[in-house]
Amino acid sequence: MPNRNRSEISEHYPGVSCHWDSVHNVYAVRVLPGQYYVTDRSDQMISTVLGSCIAACIRDPEIGVGGLNHFMLPGGDVAADGVAARYGIYAMEHLINDIIRRGGDKRRLEIKLFGGGKIMRGLTDIGAKNIKFVREFLSVEGYPIAAADLGESFSRKVNYFPTTGQVLVKRLRSLHAQQIAREETDYGKTLVEQPEYGDIELFD
Amino acid sequence: MCAQIISIEVLRNFDEKRWLSMNILVVDDSAAMRNMIIRTLRQAGFDGNDVSQAEDGAIALEMVKGQLPDLVLADWNMPNMTGIELLEAMNEEGLKTKFGFITTEATSEMRAKATAGGAKFLISKPFSVDSFQKVLSAIM
Repeated sequence: MPNRNRSEISEHYPGVSCHWDSVHNVYAVRVLPGQYYVTDRSDQMISTVLGSCIAACIRDPEIGVGGLNHFMLPGGDVAADGVAARYGIYAMEHLINDIIRRGGDKRRLEIKLFGGGKIMRGLTDIGAKNIKFVREFLSVEGYPIAAADLGESFSRKVNYFPTTGQVLVKRLRSLHAQQIAREETDYGKTLVEQPEYGDIELFD
Repeated sequence: MCAQIISIEVLRNFDEKRWLSMNILVVDDSAAMRNMIIRTLRQAGFDGNDVSQAEDGAIALEMVKGQLPDLVLADWNMPNMTGIELLEAMNEEGLKTKFGFITTEATSEMRAKATAGGAKFLISKPFSVDSFQKVLSAIM
């Protein structure tokens, strides 16, 4: 049981923190860019704030296990098998694998998508690229989309209740957009400048 | 300096020709991930003409029996038959195909099982073209 003060949840979800939310009367688990979280607890909601990033809310309704990720693709080729898409596929696979490990079934997954807003001025619509990727990914995998609120010139705050599937989405005004845009730009830079790759192990 | 470059080029061409003759079976329950692995194989210098794919271990086992590929690249977590179950089943059947894992996570227990089963390598996702080149050149 987490403390009512903000605290890290578990080693399995590094950096993901939790605090008591007296408005919704639940523990609010905050997911930042590049993170994800899965739970089966009815006293938890998962929160994230999105600009051009995408959050997929995925659950198996039959067993009440679900979670949310928060990702974007670095610049470049966003075709579903392109270089940049590795990060998106990785983010989706991590979330789905955790649900399946807890007894979920791929055939029952309920998937809702949020984010991909155009919050930065300029010609490049990063949100649109992220949307294109996630739609293409789900199409290749054969997953239907149960609900979505994507694109347009909004940032969004998402509160997800995985055991019931309820999602509360609040479209944020431009006051918040600049800060979100700054955070996402920093996150995007780390993907390009410090690309994260897994280890290779050669066995004898 | 110039001679060095030429010798590397010769070696690269030699390796590419060797890879071209390989038959690789990619096993993953995610179609997007299979596409990504096949594309990365191509980018790593493997032409891709001899790449086949399976969506779980059980289908892969039948394909290994029929096609006798040179290399199996398998995910760990899959429905019906997992990657490690596939490797163990291949060992029971006496199929000596080279085998490597590409997984999202790798615990010490998984590594121990993989080595005990005779796997040649384990690549953690997200992978790069470079990681594929290193592994393929080391084991083939």
